[in-house]
Amino acid sequence: MSIELITLLLFICLFALIFLGIPLAFALGSVAIIFSYFLLGPKSLYLLASRTSGAMFNYVMLAVPLFMFMANVLERSGLADDLYHAFHIWMGPLRGGLAIGTVLICTAMAAMSGVSAAAVLTMGIIAVPAMLKRGYDKSIVLGSTMAGGALGQLIPPSVLMVVYGGMAGVSVGKLFMGGVFPGLLLSGLFILYIAIRAFIQKDLAPALPLEERRQITWQMKFVALKAIVLPVLLIVGVLGSIFEGVATPTEAAAIGAFGSILCGLIYGRLSWEVIKVACLNTLKSSCMVMWIMIGSLLFVSFYFGVGGADFVKDTLVGIKLSRWVIILGMQLVIFLLGCLMDPAGIVMLCTPLWIPVIRALGFDPLWFGVLFIVNLEMSYLTPPFGYNLFYMKSIAPEGVTMVDIYRSVTPFVALQAVGLALCMIFPEIIMWFPGKMIRN
Amino acid sequence: MKPSTLEWVDRLNGRIGRVTSYLILGIIAITIWEVFWRYGFNRPTIWVHETSEHLFAIFFLLGGAYTLAQGGHVRVDVLLLRFSERSRILLEIFSSLFFFLFTGLLLWQGIEMAWESVAMLERSQSPWGPYIFQVILMVPVAAFLMLLQGVAFFIRNLEKLRERATK
Repeated sequence: MSIELITLLLFICLFALIFLGIPLAFALGSVAIIFSYFLLGPKSLYLLASRTSGAMFNYVMLAVPLFMFMANVLERSGLADDLYHAFHIWMGPLRGGLAIGTVLICTAMAAMSGVSAAAVLTMGIIAVPAMLKRGYDKSIVLGSTMAGGALGQLIPPSVLMVVYGGMAGVSVGKLFMGGVFPGLLLSGLFILYIAIRAFIQKDLAPALPLEERRQITWQMKFVALKAIVLPVLLIVGVLGSIFEGVATPTEAAAIGAFGSILCGLIYGRLSWEVIKVACLNTLKSSCMVMWIMIGSLLFVSFYFGVGGADFVKDTLVGIKLSRWVIILGMQLVIFLLGCLMDPAGIVMLCTPLWIPVIRALGFDPLWFGVLFIVNLEMSYLTPPFGYNLFYMKSIAPEGVTMVDIYRSVTPFVALQAVGLALCMIFPEIIMWFPGKMIRN
Repeated sequence: MKPSTLEWVDRLNGRIGRVTSYLILGIIAITIWEVFWRYGFNRPTIWVHETSEHLFAIFFLLGGAYTLAQGGHVRVDVLLLRFSERSRILLEIFSSLFFFLFTGLLLWQGIEMAWESVAMLERSQSPWGPYIFQVILMVPVAAFLMLLQGVAFFIRNLEKLRERATK
């Protein structure tokens, strides 16, 4: 059988199984087994055990459950409540201020956690009802919270970057650095958008009513500032130790996990129940990721075993088109998959297939990796499969329908696309910071 | 299998999941220990790196069945939700066959791999050289637990189908 035909059949079968609702991990694994058996013979099945054990001893991926645990504890630590209170006091008097504050808190939480769930769930519970009560428009409230939450994966630390780094053999620390400015860029675009719309449309996001504003004293403002002390310490502890090169991302993740427990203690919210739930949630999410990884390692080792690596590379490199067309094509594929699939799954499926192409075309896998994650920001907001839509739906106050949620993301997805385009046109947005830090 | 047996499978995997989930606390603790000694006193440990890797392997292997029981293995249900309940159950049954293929073969291949590893009391190649056969052994154990959970789902789906037929 020719490699063209194998490729076609393999991916048709894979996507057929995925869309029939078979969990991604088992779809990848079983397709690989069936094809290996018929094309490489029964002997090739030993790959199953050897790939699994290959995934088993993986120090880089160990950062994944640690960052997940950290986010799970922080989510229940009460840290977000205090932060929201502070931003409420400082930003509330401005038109659109609460929504801008929400994006800022999401940005700060993104720098403390490597997942998007923590910010969406906490802000969805604290900020969304508070903003709706003060007459903010639903679309701005929901959209800013969900888009802000997605920043968790782009602003370091980031679980997706750990996964990409692990699969592409790119330094996770450098990827984290690369995500800083694209993350701030997106955050800035969201804020700008909210500010402009709130300025033009008077009733969209009104300032706090006068009597509520009068109650805010300067003393209150300064007391509220203490809410940022712990987050700053946590961010400096985790990101600082990675960027300064004193700790590996995995060690920094453990420091962060430990720090999140301390935060919970300081806020007095820590209980055995919180730890228990955090452990179980961490187990569930990291098992999902690790079993997809086993499935994808199997899938890729079969496909590469029949010559897929060269085929993909030769085909894409051989196209008589600008290499930028190929990058754009890849971005389109990521976007389309992002509407339908889990972001971590997309990273694990595409990275091994594309990295040889990226290298052959002369692009930096570090730049491509961050670009990949910027693109996946959209996948958290695009229906039908968008995590932040599900999270928001699960906690949205009464009167918020699924249609409201879907409608609210459109402008923010457009802003994310603008951010993605900027990162392609100006690679320095991604590359400047890692380059700067490494020279030191 | 009687319903009580199915419940027993749920309970078994629930308990294993809960116990396994606490391993993450152990990983955090020993990593902090390492960071403390290495950066604080410039005295790195020899055992933390590998031990945490091993704990992590056990963590996600044994947690696989719990995650399955909780519906935590992510899947695309966009199409699935559009079908009638009957076709959905039929589809689940069909999907199970692929799941059995994967976990069944993993069980078989895992036993072969673990057998060799246990027989030679395999150690890691590092200077510290701890035993790793007990970690390798978790591969067939994980496959078995997942298979068990998958069979429980399968039987429940068959029963649902039978109930609908008799209605």
